[in-house]
Amino acid sequence: MALLINCPVCGKRNGYEFRYGGEDKGPRPDDESLSQASWCDYVHNNNCVAGIQKEWWFHKDGCGAWFTIYRDTRTNLEADTSADTSIPEVK
Amino acid sequence: MNCERRSPVTLPGRPARSEKRDGWNVVLEYEGESGGPLLIDLSHGRKWDLQDVDIARFKPFGMSIPDDPGQSRLENGILINRMGRTQASIWRLSEQVPDDTADPAFTETTEGQLLLALAGPNIFSITEKLTSLEFDDSSKVTPFLLFGPFSHVPCQTVVLSRSKRDGVLLLACSRGYGRDMTHAILEAGREFRLKPGGENGFAAAMKEIAG
Repeated sequence: MALLINCPVCGKRNGYEFRYGGEDKGPRPDDESLSQASWCDYVHNNNCVAGIQKEWWFHKDGCGAWFTIYRDTRTNLEADTSADTSIPEVK
Repeated sequence: MNCERRSPVTLPGRPARSEKRDGWNVVLEYEGESGGPLLIDLSHGRKWDLQDVDIARFKPFGMSIPDDPGQSRLENGILINRMGRTQASIWRLSEQVPDDTADPAFTETTEGQLLLALAGPNIFSITEKLTSLEFDDSSKVTPFLLFGPFSHVPCQTVVLSRSKRDGVLLLACSRGYGRDMTHAILEAGREFRLKPGGENGFAAAMKEIAG
């Protein structure tokens, strides 16, 4: 099934133009309270949900932006594109 | 210091007029290039990437950066393409403009990039054989920038003008793709009588755009 991804810069494009960047696991854990187990969990373990998950994508053949989308892993279709398709803020 | 610079491509035509400019061998005109669409090597034109958190504060060559990604601005031979929130590319398409890029936010990319122009009739019939990018999107006003695969190579493409199947298109990618890219374009354009063109052909197309 062809995956179409809505890039915030270039619009809807063929999924083959993108590289998958993994599940969005939220911000990096705070260093002070970090244990080896929680760091290992953050780096290596995934939720692998059967349903809608928030994930990172990189537009490697296009604008070079990293952004997040919601994708339904059961249908391989992007879901709810208006909610949070965004490039992270530059600090 | 004398410096020899080489374009990433050598187009398969016989130059009728050429000149040495800043170390580049620039072909101004090829034999028998009148009529039909032209493929023009503009890799010698100076190019920069501009990157900054507050990119709007820059006025390269006295021009303001376009507001939104995908927009381009062409004035006096300088083309500025807004690439994203923090990045723009600047291509100098005319030699008559002074340099003004001393700020460290500018990175010169001239010798790392291939820059080609397709100009004339039927060029969008040629491009549709090589890419699925929508150059005929009626919601976009020329000039505009599209990123994407062109002949499977990640490219920046800018439509400078468009009238049905005719117009002027610029295409930039890493210089290592140069030989295969020109080969693919010339093969795709064979049925439309695409020929190598010199810089004067591009200057004439730019004059038409300027009106």
